[in-house]
Amino acid sequence: MAPHPSPSQPGGSPADHPSPAEIQHLLERNIRDHAIFMLDADGHVLTWNLGAQRIQGYRAEEALGRHFSVFHPPEDVALAKPERELAAARVEGRFEDEGWRVRKDGSRFWANVVITALYDDEGLLRGFAKITRDMTERRAAEEALRESEERFRLLVQDVSDYAIFMLDATGHVISWNAGAERIKGYRADEIRGRHFSVFYPREDIAAGRPEHNLETAMLDGRVEDEGWRVRRDGSRFWANVVITALYDERRRLRGFGKVTRDMTEQREAERALTDRRRLLAHLVRAQEAERRRIAWDVHDDSIQEMTAIAMRQQVLAEQLPEPYAAQLLELGERVNEAIGRLRTLVTRLRPPGIDRQTLAAALGDHLAEQAAGWGLKYHVRNRLEQEPPAEVAVTVFRICQEALSNVHKHASATTVTVTLGNRGQGVLTQVADDGVGITDPDDLRPGPEHFGVIEMRERAETVGGWWTMSRGAEGGTVVEFWIPAPTTNGAPLL
Amino acid sequence: MTTPVPATPKITVLVCDDDARICDALCEVVDAQPDLTAVGVANDAATAAVLARQYLPVVAIVDVRMPGGGAQAVRALREHSPDTRILAFSAHNDNGAIEEMRGAGAHRYLVKGAPVRQIVAAIRELAGSEADEL
Repeated sequence: MAPHPSPSQPGGSPADHPSPAEIQHLLERNIRDHAIFMLDADGHVLTWNLGAQRIQGYRAEEALGRHFSVFHPPEDVALAKPERELAAARVEGRFEDEGWRVRKDGSRFWANVVITALYDDEGLLRGFAKITRDMTERRAAEEALRESEERFRLLVQDVSDYAIFMLDATGHVISWNAGAERIKGYRADEIRGRHFSVFYPREDIAAGRPEHNLETAMLDGRVEDEGWRVRRDGSRFWANVVITALYDERRRLRGFGKVTRDMTEQREAERALTDRRRLLAHLVRAQEAERRRIAWDVHDDSIQEMTAIAMRQQVLAEQLPEPYAAQLLELGERVNEAIGRLRTLVTRLRPPGIDRQTLAAALGDHLAEQAAGWGLKYHVRNRLEQEPPAEVAVTVFRICQEALSNVHKHASATTVTVTLGNRGQGVLTQVADDGVGITDPDDLRPGPEHFGVIEMRERAETVGGWWTMSRGAEGGTVVEFWIPAPTTNGAPLL
Repeated sequence: MTTPVPATPKITVLVCDDDARICDALCEVVDAQPDLTAVGVANDAATAAVLARQYLPVVAIVDVRMPGGGAQAVRALREHSPDTRILAFSAHNDNGAIEEMRGAGAHRYLVKGAPVRQIVAAIRELAGSEADEL
């Protein structure tokens, strides 16, 4: 606490300055962060301050007169470290040290110690000034940082799925990890110092791709690239690469962090999947095309021919006497029945009207024809924003046909609702009934007797979609399936 | 036309179908009836229009599928011979096909395989009730 200036002694007069004794008192009373005290020429404590009490744990009356070696750990005392510290300060004028010291209660702290030799005007040693600072917390923080850095280094070093390494500001490799060695084939000592363009194929180097990537990373902070890279043995792999520019706090470019992943297998897997899908889609299209062709043949030839024959038989029957007339009429009836069966066949081969009307309308027709006979009420909710391609419509129709047939055969339902909608790049369909629902867990397990489940699911999965059957929220059974609908710029459809 | 002229004129029928076998059979069915006569056969929509203007048939039997389209044939018939009653006759029995023909102006719809008696009755009905709509 500074003394308040009295009115008779205006501020700025020499009387405002504290006396040397006051200064000592102020220092002793107020400085908390540093232990500041004096030792005599032999190392006994002459003065004490608040910081010393706080850091070392001794009150002034306990500390004064003691030899300062009590602040050292026993092992240091055994090695005569306190004496050597004073001797060094005596010779050099000053001694600085960092190390463990001991508090009154025996606990240790990490101390920064400066001992300064105090000579008077005649050059006589009058004692030492000692300033001690408790560095325990800072040391712990530094230790923690070092450990964290070490852990991170080990982590990076041992990661084997990713090549993680650093480039200097000009693109030369300055660090390397296990993943880099595994993916690229170089050992750390072979690659350190080399320019990272060695990882690029010749044509990319010629096109300036390595430099371009570094420039983009510098401008944008990071760059992601996917493409062929070259291993040490010259073989290629498909890489996903992220390069991050590393700037220090003064915005100076210190280098680049580079993370590379070998995507060759994923790429192969994706391609194989795409090939398989394409093949399956092709098979489905070929199958539908064949069915349609047969349907049209039956329709355009067999049904026409039989219709003509039946009509002529009936005309002939009217011109013939009995019993021939009756016989011919009966034959004509049978031909008409056969025409009816052929029409059903055509329907099965090619859902009726699917080429002429919307999917919802075709399903509506089908339900109108079937549901009445089954004693079922039905609803078709059409939420399609756009009509799917014909082949998708056929697949949806066929699965619905099967699902509705199951409702009729197994559900004991009174109402069935078919809902059509777009979901992602495809058509999501729901066939929900209010029947008995799935009572046996086995119902969900495919089997020869199990509701054409296999057929429905295979139809959906063959074209890359999914199919599921579950118990409805309010009872009954819900069949739900999604069929991908390729965009119009995709593969040509029939 | 060598048969003696009957007291009442016969109902004239135009047959429109791209299948020759169906056309022949329909003509045979029509001509076997004392009160009906087939006046022409069209295998496509364009010919149907020409023959409709030429004969102004009382009834036209029109298939759903033929070159130019069954619906187009119906529209052409209605334009060139507005009084002609139209019987759509098709192997298709889906609502889409029926709606398409009805929308074009067909008055009745019969599915192929229907008994001759029904076809003949439909022709007579259409000829007799010109105000009737499908």
